Amino acid sequence: MHPFARARERTRALNAAKMDRLFAKPFVDSLEGHVDAIEVLARQPGSLTTVASGSWDGGILLHNLSTRNKLVKLPQAHKGKVSGLCFAEGDRLLSCGVDRNIKLWSIGSNASDQPLNVFPGKSAFNSIDHHRTDSLFATASNLVQIWDETKSAPISNLTFPTSTETITSVRFNLSESSVLASIGSDRTFTLYDIRTGRAERRVFRSNSLAWSPTFPTTILLASEDHNLYTFDIRHLATPSQIYKAHVAAVMSCDWSPTGLEFVSGGWDRTVRIWKEGQGHSPEVYHTKRMQRVSSSIFSADARFVITGSDDGNVRIWKAKASDKLGVITARERAAIEYRESLKDRWRMDTQVGKVARTRHMPKSVHQASKLKRTMLDAQRVKEERRRKHTRAGETKPKAERKKVVIAEQT
Amino acid sequence: MDSLIAKADALQPLGKKRKISHPKKSRDASATDRTLQSVAKHTSVPKSFNKLPDGPNTYSHIANKKLRTELNRHTTQASRAKALLEDAEMLLADEAGKIEVEGEMERTWRVGQDEIVQGAGQEAARGRREWKLDGGPYRSRYTRNGRHLAIAGRTGHVATFDWLTGTLHSELQLQETCRDITFLHDQSHYAVAQKKYVFIYDRDGVELHCLKSHIEPTRLEFLPYHWLLASIGNSGYLKYQDTSTGQLLIEHRTKLGTCTTMAQNAHNAVIHLGHQNGCVTLWTPNLPHPAVQLLAHMGPVVSVSVDPSQGGRYMATAGRDGTVKVWDCRNWKGAVRDWPVRSGGDVELEWSARGALAVASGGGVNVYTRPSIHTPMHTKAQPPLYLTHPIPHRPLTSVRFAPFQDILTIGHAAGLSSVIVPGAGEPNFDSAEADPFENKKARREKEVKALLDKIQPDMITLDPEFVGSLAPPSKLTTVTTIDGKPPVEIPFARLPRLERLKVSGKADETEEHSDEEGLDDNGKKAAREERERRKQRGKGKSLKRYLRKQRKNVIDPTAVAIRKKLEKQREEKLRARMAAKTGGEEPRKPSALDRFKRAP
Repeated sequence: MHPFARARERTRALNAAKMDRLFAKPFVDSLEGHVDAIEVLARQPGSLTTVASGSWDGGILLHNLSTRNKLVKLPQAHKGKVSGLCFAEGDRLLSCGVDRNIKLWSIGSNASDQPLNVFPGKSAFNSIDHHRTDSLFATASNLVQIWDETKSAPISNLTFPTSTETITSVRFNLSESSVLASIGSDRTFTLYDIRTGRAERRVFRSNSLAWSPTFPTTILLASEDHNLYTFDIRHLATPSQIYKAHVAAVMSCDWSPTGLEFVSGGWDRTVRIWKEGQGHSPEVYHTKRMQRVSSSIFSADARFVITGSDDGNVRIWKAKASDKLGVITARERAAIEYRESLKDRWRMDTQVGKVARTRHMPKSVHQASKLKRTMLDAQRVKEERRRKHTRAGETKPKAERKKVVIAEQT
Repeated sequence: MDSLIAKADALQPLGKKRKISHPKKSRDASATDRTLQSVAKHTSVPKSFNKLPDGPNTYSHIANKKLRTELNRHTTQASRAKALLEDAEMLLADEAGKIEVEGEMERTWRVGQDEIVQGAGQEAARGRREWKLDGGPYRSRYTRNGRHLAIAGRTGHVATFDWLTGTLHSELQLQETCRDITFLHDQSHYAVAQKKYVFIYDRDGVELHCLKSHIEPTRLEFLPYHWLLASIGNSGYLKYQDTSTGQLLIEHRTKLGTCTTMAQNAHNAVIHLGHQNGCVTLWTPNLPHPAVQLLAHMGPVVSVSVDPSQGGRYMATAGRDGTVKVWDCRNWKGAVRDWPVRSGGDVELEWSARGALAVASGGGVNVYTRPSIHTPMHTKAQPPLYLTHPIPHRPLTSVRFAPFQDILTIGHAAGLSSVIVPGAGEPNFDSAEADPFENKKARREKEVKALLDKIQPDMITLDPEFVGSLAPPSKLTTVTTIDGKPPVEIPFARLPRLERLKVSGKADETEEHSDEEGLDDNGKKAAREERERRKQRGKGKSLKRYLRKQRKNVIDPTAVAIRKKLEKQREEKLRARMAAKTGGEEPRKPSALDRFKRAP
């Protein structure tokens, strides 16, 4: 009745993989306006379209992603680099810069180029994040400080007694809002609780951090050693997953609102979109015009990824490269779902898997990854030969996860 | 932070031990749904409304949690889908036909066509008709959905028409010999095997292509899922042409002379050819030689057909030695059934979709049904006859069952006759595969979908179920013993270079043996090295010194030639030594006169 059922299904799976690659056109648009590199991007929590970007020349722009307009332009927001942006309740934006100031702007209907409030600080700020519910925000400079919006001095300093480092990033947990995490220049990753003042510390080297929106004890760290790590904060001795694909330092990371994917932007000029739990073969986006990616965020509907890079452009990409942006009929959606499940079922087949996995890379990235692979292989082989030629049982191979965390302090 | 951790632990604690859940005893379901109970007594409730099977719980030994969950999910889904599939049998609307005889002395084959026509309805009675045509003995072919019929007379009369409505698509007088006709993917194109070449025509009879590479074709077959047109001819070459790209895929030399019989197996797209020396060969486009070669008859094979019911398991062949044999394609040990036919001329065979075999021989057509045609029998008795129909016009040149009808079309010297064979056709069609009632839009959509689903010809094998099966385990590990320690399996990438070359068969080992004098098994390294060193001093053999200087992994043509020469010399030495051992006589080659030697 139905001869060649499996052969036909395999042909359809191969065609589905090829069609996916055929329609993979992820670049949507580029938003210009900044004159210098972009340092930070922030998405307004209740809105689908509002994104703020801060650049190295001290300018802040508020973009509307759907109309591609600039809602608010603040060209001289800070004297130096704008190092942190976050949204406060009621159409207000907080920005911090290396000129030791934190400024509160109104961006609603009565937007002006004068800030509502200025909070002066003692040293250059690196990062800022707002509390989920209360009118508090935290900043990172050479220590972590908690500020109240109504007071002009920080209400508390959360420091670790023996720290003499610069804190580069600070983030509030999305569900348990009194928990705070920070990363520092001395290879540290620290957890605080603002109510009890307790601090826990792990020593680890990273550039950026993001709390998972759906699983509150999971945190993602973008590391300088080309990897990303997810940790469960209840068990900080080893990471729960290592994500390896970048060939240079990972500069930024952000979770998708679904908690199933995250985006990372790297020093190797690529943007990678990962699936949570799969530590290899992410989706890669690159363009000749996009230089070092310094910040990347997911849009609120999990369909788009917005990146800011050294060339001063904010780029909008599709989260799924072969998504159709227009209206999709029910029949079309059924066909798309069928093709997805076909690809998933036949992904172990050599040809289908190859078509689905292969991505074109810029030559420099390709060469760098080849070199990296050769070097790591050589290290591994050397290690094995050393072990083979010493007394049996003297050294045992160490699991990759156990190598990450160097020491723990409480 | 403690509250966060406490909350997280309450939901899903970070435990180390994995608990293997024991299967709970299933509770009695009858207590819950009394409505279902009361209804179930008076209606036939689909099987899926009862408790669905949960699937075998055989994965509790797997430690990896993600893998375990995924495997459990897959097996549960599979078992549920299987249960639901049985429900779908309710949707099959039509039933197969049959003839039932009352009384012990009555036989089904005594029922003539007039009686069948009277007994069947008016719609079914349209299947009994005669076409009186002149134009030589006729060959016919139906499309896959059974709606359109193509006929070709030996003298060049070709016609295609919709037999249900009587619409004539095209009629041609080609005025040259036409030996076979087949539809391509649907009624919009057909191919005719004419005197010299194969021609492809449009639905309206417009000549589209002349396939000049198919020379003197005798038979044609179209493989619908691969879009391949296979032709065999007087030259003995089997040629595959891809009709979607137009490329001649491959031509096989059968080396068995002219061939006039061809059949395809619908389940694995293998071509069966019957040859003049009694052989039946099975061909795929991927092998230059036949996949199976079977000596079927003691004379030329006259007709071959493969049973489409039962997954292409049975094949019937007829030979000019006057026998018809039914073979089991899974083991080619011997014919399942074998009986003589009394025919003045050639025999034609065809299986129907439900396993009825039509044998056209001599003055009429005999039809046999399963299960009797499939049961093995050691005597040469004729299988029990189901139906018979005499046809006065000889020769009978083609028998074709209409796909979803109980109709058998016989081509003979005076045209064609259709007879009704109750129970021969498949009653339910799947309109996604072949739909006799498709309209223009559906036909166009199906053509595009079929082109997208075209299977590549390198997937044609004797066993169609190999797609998606696991590959045999690759030889990734080699068992090596190091200095008397227990054998250890080392993966290929971790072996030293010389071992890697040896495993992949690329190591050059000629130099290792070249120094051994004699066949001593314990060639100790020290002794060998000493010998080497001794040889190097004084009269060193320049050839061997030259080779030793070359590295083993450098392929130098001179080195290769020298090695070959050394090899020959070594063989000579070996032979001489063997001869010396056996006492001076050289071993003679076996000859035909050996049987006359007296035993010593």
